[in-house]
Amino acid sequence: MKKTPESSAAVDLRDVHKIYGTGPDPVAALDGVSLRIDPGEFVAITGTSGSGKSTLMHLVGCLDTPTSGRVSVAGEDISTAGSDRLARLRNRSIGFVFQAFNLLPRLDVQGNIELPLVYAGIPRRERRQRALDAAAKVNLTDRLTHRPSQLSGGQCQRVAVARALVNDPALILADEPTGNLDTTNGADVLRLLAELHRSGRTIVLVTHDPAVAARAARVVEMRDGRIVKDTAT
Amino acid sequence: MNWLSGLLIGLREIREHKFRSFLTMLGVILGVASLLAMFALTAGIATGWRNTMQQLGGLERVGVNDKQVSLEFADLAALSPGRTLADAEALRGLPHLVSHVAPEMQTPATLSAPDGQTVSARVVGTWPDNLAVSQHEVAAGRFLTDLDLERGARVVVLGDAKVAQLWPDEYGTDADFLGRTITINDRPFSVVGVLALYQREEDRRRREAAAKGGPAPARFAMGGRRGGSGRRNMFSWKNESVIVPLSTLYHEFRSGQPETPPLVMAKLDNLNFRVRDLQRFDETLTAVQNLLRGTRRGIDDYDFDTREDWFERMETSLRSTQLSGGLIAGISLLVGGIGIANIMLASIAQRVRELGVRLAVGARRRDVFLQILAESTVIGMIGGFLGLGAGVVLLDLLGRVAPLESPPVIEPSAILISVGFATAVGVLSGLYPAWRASRLDPIAALRYE
Repeated sequence: MKKTPESSAAVDLRDVHKIYGTGPDPVAALDGVSLRIDPGEFVAITGTSGSGKSTLMHLVGCLDTPTSGRVSVAGEDISTAGSDRLARLRNRSIGFVFQAFNLLPRLDVQGNIELPLVYAGIPRRERRQRALDAAAKVNLTDRLTHRPSQLSGGQCQRVAVARALVNDPALILADEPTGNLDTTNGADVLRLLAELHRSGRTIVLVTHDPAVAARAARVVEMRDGRIVKDTAT
Repeated sequence: MNWLSGLLIGLREIREHKFRSFLTMLGVILGVASLLAMFALTAGIATGWRNTMQQLGGLERVGVNDKQVSLEFADLAALSPGRTLADAEALRGLPHLVSHVAPEMQTPATLSAPDGQTVSARVVGTWPDNLAVSQHEVAAGRFLTDLDLERGARVVVLGDAKVAQLWPDEYGTDADFLGRTITINDRPFSVVGVLALYQREEDRRRREAAAKGGPAPARFAMGGRRGGSGRRNMFSWKNESVIVPLSTLYHEFRSGQPETPPLVMAKLDNLNFRVRDLQRFDETLTAVQNLLRGTRRGIDDYDFDTREDWFERMETSLRSTQLSGGLIAGISLLVGGIGIANIMLASIAQRVRELGVRLAVGARRRDVFLQILAESTVIGMIGGFLGLGAGVVLLDLLGRVAPLESPPVIEPSAILISVGFATAVGVLSGLYPAWRASRLDPIAALRYE
């Protein structure tokens, strides 16, 4: 990868368009979005449903590619990447935290945390060690052999955060991480993300809730596929 | 992510859904069971036939028979001396092609044991080679020797059934029959050998079962099944053997009568020989034909009796049995495969979200593909192994319900082929579901409810 200024950014979008549908009535989910997120930033992306923030998150999360424009994640241009390369990027550079936790019900806590390492081809013993370290960071060392169904919602989301960190990604991408949690547990998870930010990680938080967004150092507001506000708090 | 972890995931899925997995495997289990049973049954039949064939002299045994001379040569037929000892002597001149030659003369006679019974029998006079040509097995004593032949010795080798008839009270005990004297048409002969008992597999097992059930009432069955004399079967001629040297038979019972030709020109009742190398079977027959053309003075009055036709018929019928058995097994396996594919598709639909998560954390399409394929492969393989067990049980049940002529033989190759087929079914039926799963869009899969 060539080392250009944008390649030092955690995320760099340049005039990105994403258009769904090809018929007479295509929908532009993203309409010329440019956004740069530096390593170590804590950014919240807000907006109402339909504002394009989910689409933006999919691009930043390497789950999708843009119709036009350039998207770089962790220094790699993914605008035209194939599915294998996207998968590798998701595996190495991005940790996902979802609203619905998305833990695998038949794996125990350790198995869930290890999952990205399995696809990274890390040997079993090292996987175990790294999963233990990640579990310690979210304070779940005593629940390693539990299954998700035996955990509370807050604990599940902490497992998900541990899973997001385990492969030491450049970027942690949290999509409405508090949406399924009560206030206490939600605050817990936000505190965890803030801690991770303080320890130097790049966090991108997608939420429609201004109160949650307020936890971030920078808030990007979307509307109709464009960035309408980009404020540092 | 490699095959091994794929297999592990597959195993876990199966463990989580034991009953569903079992139902999924049922078709494969039945398929493999019937495949194995079919293989074992046909292998058993084939082994039985081969043994029988071997005991009857094997493929190598060829008989020289008389044949009606074709009409245009009818007036010349008398020129040929017919089947004589000269033929046999001539056959000995082909040692590289013909390994053994056994001419036979037969005569009906009355056998009498001073310490036993008097029975009638057909006495066979032959050469020592008869042992190899007819695949006799000597149970006690010895067979004829060249010396016996040379001397015209009054020695006799008896078949098992004949021993049983001559000494019914002593048969089956430890009694030694060797060295005893019997009379054949009032001339004393010394018993030098007793042949082994030949029996069909079915009879052998019945006998064994009877022996196991304590002192069987075999004594009363004398002349019945015991000694194999009562039930005529393809081995009767061997068990009923009364064998003496050819020269002895000729001199004792044939010569001295008016118009008896010299031994070498005397008509034989049978002439059998053994082909040395089956690879050169046709070559051997041609050579023998050329030879006989000389001894028969060019008259085509003989025919070869080979086991080839019989063998071919046997192979054909075995093949058709295998084909129909294979067809049934194939249909079961096909149904089993469809079952696996169906369940895998359903299981994928249930797990869209899980697959989405796997994709999100970095699974490549091929990882997902392998995972699903490994799962169906494991189902097929386990089904295969369970099917082996079911096959063994099936064979056992079959053996109980209807005792088989030949016991089934489970060959290692049959096991390999059966499990191999099951595994292949697992792989094939997983291909489409695996492809479907690997085509999932991660975004849609993550949103899937």
